[in-house]
Amino acid sequence: MGETKVGPGVSADGVAPADSHTLEASLEAEAAKLLPFLEPAARADLQAAAAQHVLAMTGSKPCRQLLAGQATLLRALVELATAPAPAPAPAPARDAARALVNLAADPDLHESLLAAEPGLPARLLGRVLDPQWPWAEEAAAVLANLSREPGPCAELMEALAAAEPGECGLERLVCALCRPDYNARAPLHYLGPILSNLSQRPVARAFLLDPDRCVVQRLLPLTQYSDSSVRRGGVVGTLRNCCFEHRHHEWLLGPEVDILPFLLLPLAGPEEFSEEEMDRLPVDLQYLPSDKQREPDADIRKMLIEAIMLLTATASGRQQVRDQGAYLILRELHTWEPEPDVRLACEKLIQVLIGDEPEHGMENLLEVQVPEDVEQQLQKLDLQEQEECQRQQLEQQLAPDQQAEDSTPT
Amino acid sequence: MVGGQRTVMDPSQPDAASDDAMDEFLEKFRSQPYRGGFHEDKWEEEFEKIPLFMKTAPSEINAKENPDLACLQSIIFDEERSPEEQAKTYKDEGNDYFKGKEYKKAVVSYTEGLKKKCNNPDLNAVLYTNRAAAQYYLGNFRSALNDVTAAKKLKPCHLKAVVRGALCHLELKNFAEAVSWCDEGLQIDAKEKKLLELRAKADKLKRTEQRDIRKAKLKEKKEQNKNEALLQAIKARNIRLVSEVTGKDDDSDSESLGEVLLDGLSSENPYGARLSIDDQGKLSWPVLFLYPEYAQSDFISAFHEDARFIDHLMMMFAETPSWDLEQKYCPDHLEVYFEDEDRAELYCVPPKTTLLRVLQNPRYFVKALTPVFLVCVGTSPFCKNFLQGRKVHQAK
Repeated sequence: MGETKVGPGVSADGVAPADSHTLEASLEAEAAKLLPFLEPAARADLQAAAAQHVLAMTGSKPCRQLLAGQATLLRALVELATAPAPAPAPAPARDAARALVNLAADPDLHESLLAAEPGLPARLLGRVLDPQWPWAEEAAAVLANLSREPGPCAELMEALAAAEPGECGLERLVCALCRPDYNARAPLHYLGPILSNLSQRPVARAFLLDPDRCVVQRLLPLTQYSDSSVRRGGVVGTLRNCCFEHRHHEWLLGPEVDILPFLLLPLAGPEEFSEEEMDRLPVDLQYLPSDKQREPDADIRKMLIEAIMLLTATASGRQQVRDQGAYLILRELHTWEPEPDVRLACEKLIQVLIGDEPEHGMENLLEVQVPEDVEQQLQKLDLQEQEECQRQQLEQQLAPDQQAEDSTPT
Repeated sequence: MVGGQRTVMDPSQPDAASDDAMDEFLEKFRSQPYRGGFHEDKWEEEFEKIPLFMKTAPSEINAKENPDLACLQSIIFDEERSPEEQAKTYKDEGNDYFKGKEYKKAVVSYTEGLKKKCNNPDLNAVLYTNRAAAQYYLGNFRSALNDVTAAKKLKPCHLKAVVRGALCHLELKNFAEAVSWCDEGLQIDAKEKKLLELRAKADKLKRTEQRDIRKAKLKEKKEQNKNEALLQAIKARNIRLVSEVTGKDDDSDSESLGEVLLDGLSSENPYGARLSIDDQGKLSWPVLFLYPEYAQSDFISAFHEDARFIDHLMMMFAETPSWDLEQKYCPDHLEVYFEDEDRAELYCVPPKTTLLRVLQNPRYFVKALTPVFLVCVGTSPFCKNFLQGRKVHQAK
């Protein structure tokens, strides 16, 4: 999911020092001065101040880059953030964790981070899955940022597997994600994005989609988790990634998983349907109350549509999606949708549902070979579409009062 | 111990002479009958009495009739054996009854086993779980649930208990609980097929139940809205309603007007018709015409408020009805009245009036949401008699 930045307001980004060399030197000196106070044995109040200071430094890019170069400082920071000490004073551990969040948000710094602390993913994982750890959410946020890149993601998978010999290790993560009360002091919403990042790996998807287990089914209700768009977004992202596995489509769309209603529900609004139309809808979408809200986050709406689009890749999948009344929901969504790019995605999906079946040989759209000239044409069209979208978005921004009437969801 | 006579070989006889002894032994049977054998006519009965050959055990063991069995029983259920051994025996007994589908007896056995309070938590957990299964097949789902809960406490990873618990919740229609128990079970064995199936089933039922609740709520809301619309329409027209029960009239109190309306709407009209409102916001009433002369009546299920009395009368009396002995009830001769019960006065309604106008008459009170009118032939002696001594107004 998106970058996570936690910490006091960012301010130093645009400031260009007269002499970067001097700045670098002074920052280095500063970092060196801070180091002793970050040690575990340091005095509590000084430790707190030092941690806070480091956190403030991570607010600006040049400072972050500098900090990343200070291996000893990083190690001290990690130690502070993750050591299961009897009771570090609350503030330092938390601020240290938040500093790591900001550092990890920058993919360029991952190498330095992992070089300084190779076991970082495993250590963070330990804190994340500790039901008593108060800063588990922050640790999760660091992992969410780190796991966006393939290297750290692989390391995280390894750490998970190491914790559960013989298994791929995702079960504990899924378990913690599906139980909102796993950790009484930390909500762990960032487990969502972590899972989403991990689901980019085939091994993770294989586990999530194992038909002999019940894993993906437990994620489905979370698409409606109203308390956190981070958790929701992570779950939807995971589901979308899973939908790339077209060999599992029939199972996903069938009664053992029944994924489609859960993808459609956040896209459905309070609109009433006739009795006849209602009968065509899946049970979860019938008789929705008049105060039903659609998914407020446009990015999540888009991912939901993308997931459904993936499920229409095969002819049988298309038929199942049609049969389960997706068109009705998408039709209403299209009327309501304020965001141009989401509306476009919706249109495309509707086209697939109501359009003619593709010719022989193209039954699985994910496996079709696109000839080069056609590929180029399509890319050109894509570009045109994008420009159109951007134009519309710009229009919307420039004339908010005029557009507000139309774009405000009912 | 086997019943019957025992024939003992005399050990003091040397082997060499055993042949003779054998002969002697066999000789005996020439003169003495073998008494330990079965009787020819009762042999099957007697056969059944030997514990080794019994096909079914008697439910009560009578020591006099069946000494062998009683002996065996006392060996098995010997109070001197450890509680655990005894409990295990009861468990086995229960299991046997269970296999024979004698669930009540199984429950008794398991209960006896549990009473021993032996120190083996595994055994007790199994006893609870098995008893729960027997209760399940007897349809005592709550008792079964109690038992599996106890089993779980003793042995948290006892999968059979969890499966049984999920099944109980499913029968009790606690679908969310059923799913929750399945999830618990899947934590113990992530690939347990029965749990996977059960979970999918319970989840679908849960979601269907939620749909049904939503549907009912929506229906109720629609009903409420309809009633609200009716209430508004009546209020707007200044029509007075009377509660059948209290006989009170309420022209200004809108809240109790609502109550009266709801009373009227909910109480079953014997003819099944109801006050309704159409898309143009027009009301149609169920109306009763009474013909006091012949104690007859006619029921009009939907009298549109803008329709005139004469329109209905023309249709209804196009042919004179069978009870009209003098064949005088034709539209032109009919007079319509309503009664102001409070003051015991009558009002004559000009046939060309619309229903709405009459209902809006300040002295018209609608009872049970069904306006009533009296109809008779104006010039008839009955009518004259009927009107005699009563104050009659002309309704405007």
